[in-house]
Amino acid sequence: MAVHDESETSGRKESEEIDVPIFSAENMQSNMKVIYYSRTFMSIIGGVIAGILGFTGLTGFVIYFLVMAITSIGLIAKTGFSIHSYFTGWSQIILDGFLGGLMSFVLFWTFAYDIVHIF
Amino acid sequence: MDKFRDCGDIKKDLRYLYTVQFWVFLVSRNANRGERKSRERERGAMAEDLVLDTAIRDWVLIPLSVVMVLIGVLRYFVSKLMRSAQIPDAKLVKEGQVIVRARNLRAAANFIPPKSFRARRLYYSNEENGLLYVPKGQAPNAQAQMFSDPNMAMDMMKKNLSMIIPQTLTFAWVNFFFSGFVAAKIPFPLTQRFRAMLQNGIDLSTVDVSYVSSRSWYFLNLFGLRGLFSIILGEENATDDTQRMMQMTGFGFDPTKSLGAEKDGLDIVQHDWTMPKFERRAEAVLRKLVR
Repeated sequence: MAVHDESETSGRKESEEIDVPIFSAENMQSNMKVIYYSRTFMSIIGGVIAGILGFTGLTGFVIYFLVMAITSIGLIAKTGFSIHSYFTGWSQIILDGFLGGLMSFVLFWTFAYDIVHIF
Repeated sequence: MDKFRDCGDIKKDLRYLYTVQFWVFLVSRNANRGERKSRERERGAMAEDLVLDTAIRDWVLIPLSVVMVLIGVLRYFVSKLMRSAQIPDAKLVKEGQVIVRARNLRAAANFIPPKSFRARRLYYSNEENGLLYVPKGQAPNAQAQMFSDPNMAMDMMKKNLSMIIPQTLTFAWVNFFFSGFVAAKIPFPLTQRFRAMLQNGIDLSTVDVSYVSSRSWYFLNLFGLRGLFSIILGEENATDDTQRMMQMTGFGFDPTKSLGAEKDGLDIVQHDWTMPKFERRAEAVLRKLVR
C-alpha cells in the first residue's frame, strides 16, 4: 500500500470552556480514508484466512466481525487511546465502514475456500 | 486449364483462422471437461459434497478474476486520459470559488469582530451587486443552457459508456464461454429462492444451492473487487457506483440553486464573538502554568 502512509493527522482542537470545535476538514478526511483503507485490507486478509481454514456458514461471518473488531482495536491503539484529538467520537472509529468490506470478504473467502477445499 | 492461383495469402489466413479456433477450442474443451466430470459425480453421489475438476479452477475462476482486475485498471487509465482533455469553464469555476468563500465565512464567523462579519455578509448577499444574489429570471435560463451544452452531454455520455461497455462485454463473454457447469461453491448456505439466480446454467434441481454457476462468480467479482481497486488505484476511481456520476453532473447543472442556498445559510448565521471567551481561556491556562 505505497499510496498512503499509516499516520493519522491530528487536526482537532477544542477549548475546554466553550463548545467551539475547530476542525481541519482536510485532516479529518484523511483520517477517514486511513480507516477505510485499513478495513478494506483487513477484510480481504480475513477472507483469505477464513477460506483457507475452511469455515463455512455462520462461522465465516463471525470471523468477519472478529476481524473488524480487531481492526477497530488496532486503530484505537494507533491513536494512542486518545480518540478525541483525531475523530469526533467513538462511533466514527468503531462503526464507520463496518459493512463496507463485506463484499470483498465474501469474494476472497469463496475464492480461497474453493481453491483449497473443493478443487 | 486455368492457372493455379497464388496460395501464399490463403496460407496466412488459414494460419490465423486455425490459431483462433485453437484457442476457442482449448477454452471450451476445458470448460466442457469440467462439466462432464461434475455431472458424472453428481449422478453418482447425490450427497452434499461435489468434487469439481481442477480445470475449472485453472480455466474459469482465476482467468475471470484476472480479466476483471485488468479491465478495471484499464478503465481507470482510460478515464484519466480522457478527462485530461477537458478545459473547465471559467464561469463555473468562479461561481464555485465564490461558494467556497461564502462557506468559509459561515464556518469561521465567530472568530472575527461583529462589524467586519456584517460587512462581509453584506458584500455577499447585497441585493444590488452582491456576489450570491441571482435575480429570479436568470435561474431557469442557466439550467436550460447547461442541458443543451454539447460538451456536457458528450462528457456524460463518455462516462456512462466507459462504465457500461466493459461490464456488458465481460458479461456476454462469461455467458458465452462459461455456461452450463458448476463453477464454484459459496461457503455459506442460501435458501432455495436464490437457486434461479445463482444456478441458471445448471439444470439439476437436486444440487445444493451453494454450488453456483460462473455467472454468479462474475457478479461476486464485480462487487467484491471494488475494495481491491480502491487500494490498488489510490484515490476514488470511476469503477464505483453511478451515484458519484449523478452527483457530478448535478453540480454542473444548478449553480444558481447552490448560490441561493449559500445566501440563505449566510443570512441565518447568528454572530457570537468568541474572543472574550478565549481571553478567559488564555487566563486559565496561564494560571495553571504559574501554579
